[in-house]
Amino acid sequence: MSGKRLVVIALVIAGLALLTVLPVLVQSDSIINLAILALLYIALASSWNVLGGYTGQTNLGHAAFFGLGSLTTRLLWLSVGWPLPLSLLAGGVVAVVFALLVGAPAFKLRGVYFAIGTLALAQVLNMTVGNMFPMITSLPAEYLATYQLAPRYYLFLGLALLTVGTAYVLVHSRLGLGMMAVREEEEAAESLGVSAFRHKLLALSVSAFFAGLTGGAFAFYHVGYYPQFPFGPVWTFDSMMMAYIGGTGTIIGPIIGAVFFVVAKELLALNLLELHLTVFGTLFILVVLFLPGGLVEAWGRIRRVLARRARAREVRLASPEQASGHQTVVGL
Amino acid sequence: MRARISIGIVIAIVLSMLAAQCPPPATPTEIPPTKAVEPTKAPEVKPTEVPKATEVPKPPAPEAIDIGASIPLTGKYGALGAMVKPGYEFAVTHINAAGGVYVKAFDKKIPLRLTIYDDESDPTKAVSKLETLYSDKKVVAYLGGAGSDMHAATAAIAEKNKVPYLGIAFALYQIHQKGYKYLFSPFPKSPAQARDVYEILNAEIPEGQRPKKVAIFQEKTDWGIELGGLWKENAPKYGYEVVVYEEYAPRSADFSDIILKAKAAGAEALFAVPSPPDGLAIQKQMAELGWTPKFTLMIRAPENVSWGETLGKTGDYVTIFPGWHNAEKFPGVDKLNAAYQAEFGRPADLLTGPAYACVQILADAITRAGTLDRDAIRDAIAATNMTTVVGPVTFNADGTGKVLNPLIQWQNGKLELVWPKDQASAKLLYPAPPFDKR
Repeated sequence: MSGKRLVVIALVIAGLALLTVLPVLVQSDSIINLAILALLYIALASSWNVLGGYTGQTNLGHAAFFGLGSLTTRLLWLSVGWPLPLSLLAGGVVAVVFALLVGAPAFKLRGVYFAIGTLALAQVLNMTVGNMFPMITSLPAEYLATYQLAPRYYLFLGLALLTVGTAYVLVHSRLGLGMMAVREEEEAAESLGVSAFRHKLLALSVSAFFAGLTGGAFAFYHVGYYPQFPFGPVWTFDSMMMAYIGGTGTIIGPIIGAVFFVVAKELLALNLLELHLTVFGTLFILVVLFLPGGLVEAWGRIRRVLARRARAREVRLASPEQASGHQTVVGL
Repeated sequence: MRARISIGIVIAIVLSMLAAQCPPPATPTEIPPTKAVEPTKAPEVKPTEVPKATEVPKPPAPEAIDIGASIPLTGKYGALGAMVKPGYEFAVTHINAAGGVYVKAFDKKIPLRLTIYDDESDPTKAVSKLETLYSDKKVVAYLGGAGSDMHAATAAIAEKNKVPYLGIAFALYQIHQKGYKYLFSPFPKSPAQARDVYEILNAEIPEGQRPKKVAIFQEKTDWGIELGGLWKENAPKYGYEVVVYEEYAPRSADFSDIILKAKAAGAEALFAVPSPPDGLAIQKQMAELGWTPKFTLMIRAPENVSWGETLGKTGDYVTIFPGWHNAEKFPGVDKLNAAYQAEFGRPADLLTGPAYACVQILADAITRAGTLDRDAIRDAIAATNMTTVVGPVTFNADGTGKVLNPLIQWQNGKLELVWPKDQASAKLLYPAPPFDKR
């Protein structure tokens, strides 16, 4: 194992250890709450990335899976009285069933038509839920009396790790290679025996399952909202934005994007009142304009510059005469 | 590989769920909320434990009393939030100009320090902002934003953190039926709106001329269902008959079907709670289809100034229960209007008065509590009995306010206060003339 790889593993372990003890170290509901939101978005953006980033299918209806997970879990947990773990799993399963139902017809569409189609489906579901469930769902006072953020934090931490871990294993497998082949050139992939439809459906199912679980965790976390709220397009577009800010088609991209998005937005909101949206919007445009590959690309660029400088320094140290001679020539 | 993925997924799911079920090793909510204001415990010491109460040295007073609000300044409730925010700000300015709030525990007046955050009309962000106000700013009380769903989320956080919460700009009664102890709202609720409309009609209009046949257009939202049901339930008690009760989905573009049903049934009054785009569409389509109710009570949509600008004479004669009007004659209204006029070039907006009253109630409660202890302030708010810019205020056990529910009416492109009579700026115009004869 190379030294570089060991450093990465050590950093990951240290990061995980820090995240595990965060509620013990930090006695602030404000910070725990912010960490919960960041973890929620890491899970949601990473699940979007499986289909959008690795399989190349821009899904604008991701909120439908998130919303279905939330609705199912909240109903089963609060109204029917199922245990939370079962309600959460049911949320993920319902999202997958919906994904499989809509996936078959939706994948007959390609490119922008697929994107618009998924957006339309999600909006239909959004309006239907709004009409069917118009009442606010609030946690009763007896639940609030024992409400604690720490269990919610650990649920989201587990979920984020699970989503990122699954994405990592998936994209490093044969199936993941197939998904990326479909992303790069669908016809070429088909000609090599890679079933585009099967791979897209698999990616959609994985993406929907984790979005559904995240929605379920949201139902466990949130104190009061309209059942329609998690179906809102903002959940899709925020997740997409995070994946793009961080870098789509990478494991680390949605994580960086989600943390940047949540922390930057919160800091701006706490300091700039109404202006914060304008400033954040400008920041987003700048990232897209100058770093089309996301913040991951920025890191790549920095590494390339550092490597070039290091090489130049090595060359100067190795042959100082040549280097000074070169300078003389330039000076002349 | 598939087997490995499956095993990994199952293990991770089980572990994360177990972690979620386990009690945390230490939680921020275990910190007593009163810890930040510990000095206030001094006056509670029994006189027998010290020679004389007057000899107890007063603890050092804090620099300011921190209060906080999460308001939707952007997003779908942005227009409402823009009316609420200046109400809080003007009240704090006026109270601080008089030296602040007297707190007996420190034997001095302490200024209020208000922190406002924008929650973008998003209940998740509102929750986050309230946690920040609680953890970082150590606020002794929350002031609410606007919109039922926003209040449902933020009032629950207030309950969790045991911080008194004063909120307006929502009439939904069911939020008060959750058993929350820290939620107070000096704002008219659905039961009052469902009762008062009939009482005003019976008081203002002679028996033979009353609009006895009522049409209710019920929006398929929690408030629409709640208020629509109460209007229907109350109608026979006051001698009215609901001839049309039609539901519609919010943001419907076409209301002609339900308007024609009301017209065919000979309905003389219309009650509805549409959002602004729906309200404008209903009013325009009623004019186009030639159905003019003699009396229209349309809460919410006509509260925006754009109603008059967009509809002109078509928008006249419509009445609203907005919670307040700047023509009310209670102490402090003139001062608020003058301050508002100086900054915005018009008298205070409809939600600004109730927002101002929230701070008045809070300041009064802090003084009566004599301490900055959140529970003591909560109890003092519950015992409120004072006159504010919205009139006399007391609270029911469920946190709803016993407050005036004024009726206003669009007359010649202006909002006039028409009820109660002792506060009125104009008479109720009834019946409304047909749209084509205005």
